[in-house]
Amino acid sequence: MLYVELFLQGLIQGSIYALVAVGLTLVYGLLRILHIAHAGLFTLGGYIGVLVTDATGSLALALLVAAVTVGLLGMALYRVCYEPILNKPPFVALIASIGLFIAMEEIYRIVFGPYGLSYQAPPLQDSVVLWGMHLTQAELAVMGGGVVVIAVLALLAEKTRAGTAWKATVTDPQMAQSFGIDTVRVRYLNFFIGSALAACAGVMVALMNNLVEPTMGSVPSYKALAIIVLGGLGDVRGTLIAALALGVIEAFGTIYLGDLMDRDAIAFAFLIVVLMIRPQGLLGRKA
Amino acid sequence: MLDAYHISLLTVMGISVTFALSLNLITGFCGQISLGHAAFLGIGAYGAALLSKAGLPVPLGLAAGALLAGAIGAVVGLTSLRVRHDFLAITTMGVGFLFLGIVRQQDALGGEMGVSGFPGTGLDKEGFMVLVLAVAAATAAFSLYLKKSWLGFAFDAVAEDEDTARLLGVDVARFKLAAFAMGCAIAGLAGGLYAHNVRFIDPDSFGFVESITVLSMVVIGGIGSVWGVIVAAAGLSVLPLWIQFIEDYKLLIYGGLLFAVMRFSPGGLAGAVAAVARRGRTEP
Amino acid sequence: MMSRLLKGTALAAVAALFLAGGAGAETIKIGMNAPQTGFAAADGKAAVIGAQLAVEQANAEGGVNGNQIELVVYDDQAAPKQAVPIATKLIEQDKVAVGISGSYSGATRAAAGVYQAAGVPFIAAYAVHPDVTRSGDFVFRTAVVGEVQGRAGAMLAGKMLGKKRAVVITLKNDFGVSLSAGFKEKAADYGITVVNEYEYSIKDRQFGPIVTKVKVDNPDVIYATGYFFTAGPLVSQLRAGGVDATVIGQEGYDSEKFITIAKDAAEGVIITTSLDRDSTVPETKTFIAEFEKKAGFAADMVAASGHTAAKVAIAALRKAGSTDPKAVRDAIAATNVTAAIGDISFNSLGEVRKNVQVQIVKGGAFHRHSVISDPDLLAPPEK
Repeated sequence: MLYVELFLQGLIQGSIYALVAVGLTLVYGLLRILHIAHAGLFTLGGYIGVLVTDATGSLALALLVAAVTVGLLGMALYRVCYEPILNKPPFVALIASIGLFIAMEEIYRIVFGPYGLSYQAPPLQDSVVLWGMHLTQAELAVMGGGVVVIAVLALLAEKTRAGTAWKATVTDPQMAQSFGIDTVRVRYLNFFIGSALAACAGVMVALMNNLVEPTMGSVPSYKALAIIVLGGLGDVRGTLIAALALGVIEAFGTIYLGDLMDRDAIAFAFLIVVLMIRPQGLLGRKA
Repeated sequence: MLDAYHISLLTVMGISVTFALSLNLITGFCGQISLGHAAFLGIGAYGAALLSKAGLPVPLGLAAGALLAGAIGAVVGLTSLRVRHDFLAITTMGVGFLFLGIVRQQDALGGEMGVSGFPGTGLDKEGFMVLVLAVAAATAAFSLYLKKSWLGFAFDAVAEDEDTARLLGVDVARFKLAAFAMGCAIAGLAGGLYAHNVRFIDPDSFGFVESITVLSMVVIGGIGSVWGVIVAAAGLSVLPLWIQFIEDYKLLIYGGLLFAVMRFSPGGLAGAVAAVARRGRTEP
Repeated sequence: MMSRLLKGTALAAVAALFLAGGAGAETIKIGMNAPQTGFAAADGKAAVIGAQLAVEQANAEGGVNGNQIELVVYDDQAAPKQAVPIATKLIEQDKVAVGISGSYSGATRAAAGVYQAAGVPFIAAYAVHPDVTRSGDFVFRTAVVGEVQGRAGAMLAGKMLGKKRAVVITLKNDFGVSLSAGFKEKAADYGITVVNEYEYSIKDRQFGPIVTKVKVDNPDVIYATGYFFTAGPLVSQLRAGGVDATVIGQEGYDSEKFITIAKDAAEGVIITTSLDRDSTVPETKTFIAEFEKKAGFAADMVAASGHTAAKVAIAALRKAGSTDPKAVRDAIAATNVTAAIGDISFNSLGEVRKNVQVQIVKGGAFHRHSVISDPDLLAPPEK
């Protein structure tokens, strides 16, 4: 039973990782940018979630507002910050993104205060007891939400025109363009969806911790990078599996490897081993 | 002459310049990006601090720290033979976290409590500053020399296009390892100086943020440009101290500056200066 | 060439600072390093406001022997690297008579070395690293070191609450590690068996796996080290996960934010700290009231420590009758004042001697539970 419960806890953490990392891998797949500032959008989602929930009492509305606002902001970020430097060497965008992330964290601190925010009356806090396991509704929602989002995304990618356009653009932008795909629109859509998912993750994390802090994004900022690499950069399905796997590994590692190394080190030790054996990532295809 | 405050500022600058130039060797000259360079600063710092605590003379401790950092750097360099570009960036970032994770758990290395109370250099503040500046100057001179030497050309070839270099018969692996070993050894030396300057080291001082900071110095200065990196490292290392009077907005400005330089002058300072010079020449 | 240019700019910046500051000739300066930006900004701000309050109170009473006091604060971002030049600047340029630290252990330890070398007295408000005071005889601390507070936690759990089976959850930094070490050292003496131990990093907010395992361990008390921003999520997740054991925390929990985060789950949590919310001592009562008025949020341990450190410095300056560093140092060493955190004095190492306040969360606020005053148990290290 202990192992099952630890496994579930790992899946919860993994779902959060997945929601954040999917956006990151979408951006990487399309633009070859390591978008660190993505974690800043995740944090903003958390703030909007708390503010809207407290003002209106509706978590659903908060999720919607956070997703739309942050999604639009993600598009704006692309337009203002990334588009002009797309043709530069990759480290340029990486550093620009890091700068942006630091600035975002500081803006949150100045605007919302250094102590962070908590829900006045956090929703979904009641425990559900399943076969002797205690889970809060929020934790169940995270797992359920993660699964739904991922399924929908997979469906969209396979079955819709937008999905086809996206895949075509990732595979060969020039070719895609010559087939009449509006690659610029694909990019905007990409940033919108990725950022909106990160915002939802932010709202859910805020719910589980009942705390949003300016530095809330610092762990996801590098953990998500590790995940998308493991998943084979740009590969959505691989990223999802890597995220869940890392969540589970960390859950067990925290308990059984705690004396050896901390959570971050566990994640990265795993990453380095995988990369040395499979340089294209755990699930990536050979280029 | 200089007062103690400016001596301490110049010391901080000198250490940062040395550290940034060491990354410039790897990232600037040889084109191998690293997001975990602070680990080598840390290895040098821990080496120097623990060895001098164990009774070794300070110069030996500094040298041993640098050698250790260089040796581990060469091992980490092996990964660059296996993965490239973004993958290498993430791998080196992982190395940084592994270093921290290991140090945190080892009581012999001070664990979470860090290391303090190790013997000093015996130099006064001014003397120590001179030592630091001398090391920085020597690193700069070495960098300039390297850039012009055959080794520098080989690095250049690897950085430009390693597949072509390989076709031309350049032993890519050897040069990559050489760059990592040299760069990390110098970072280790900078770390030793850091330890003797702050007189207290803990794992948090060598984390991801520090790796990002030094990479920013290199990139803002102009990747590969020795002079640009010197100016950027000197400036950025004391920037947070200069802008004390705008307290609340300090990190915001730092982040904004990083972004702005990349957005508007991706060649860094060196690139901007070159652009201005070009414009000056073409104007009548 | 470059360094000359940079130095010129630095000098200009410094000159601007002086003009802006408009420092009078008759003021006595107290220097303070504290994080104002970055991850530790919240604690740094509270400590600074606490210290400012002490300075304002003293100035209203006529300052130090007729001279006004000025608090010079610089931001060290809680980074040891920044703390060294800042301490140097405070000593050499601002010519402060006393330095206080409203920062975390790393930065405080780094600054302490500079003050000691310069022979200027230095008081750490709440940094708990044992090495801080080992820097030398000019360095003092108004907070109880981690080990001592951990021992108090063991006494609280075993002797006062009669608990037998403990789980220790340790925050992995100098603060958490030294607290847990003190607890484990004394646990057996008070009849407690430590059934399991876990560690987490300061960045962790998700404790699902630990909660799951603790449930299996089935302890009757949990000694969990941390700060309000880790302890809030930890305690609420423990309760949501069905763990009912008593949680014992420390001064890191001591913030209204802890209760804001953990909500109902915070009820019944007991902490060892230095600020007694139900104190009848006028000094403490005044502090709690005036701090809230000035800051706009409720006083906590960090604020009280900042206030106390500044108050100790001011009292010593008054007693010494001059700003001669040696005289001020001796006056601090002989401190015997009633501060916001109670009656305090220092031992030969510069460690504070004071009672440990035990507070319990009841009805959404911290209230007095008991006071631990066993002088043998609480004896700070002498070397």
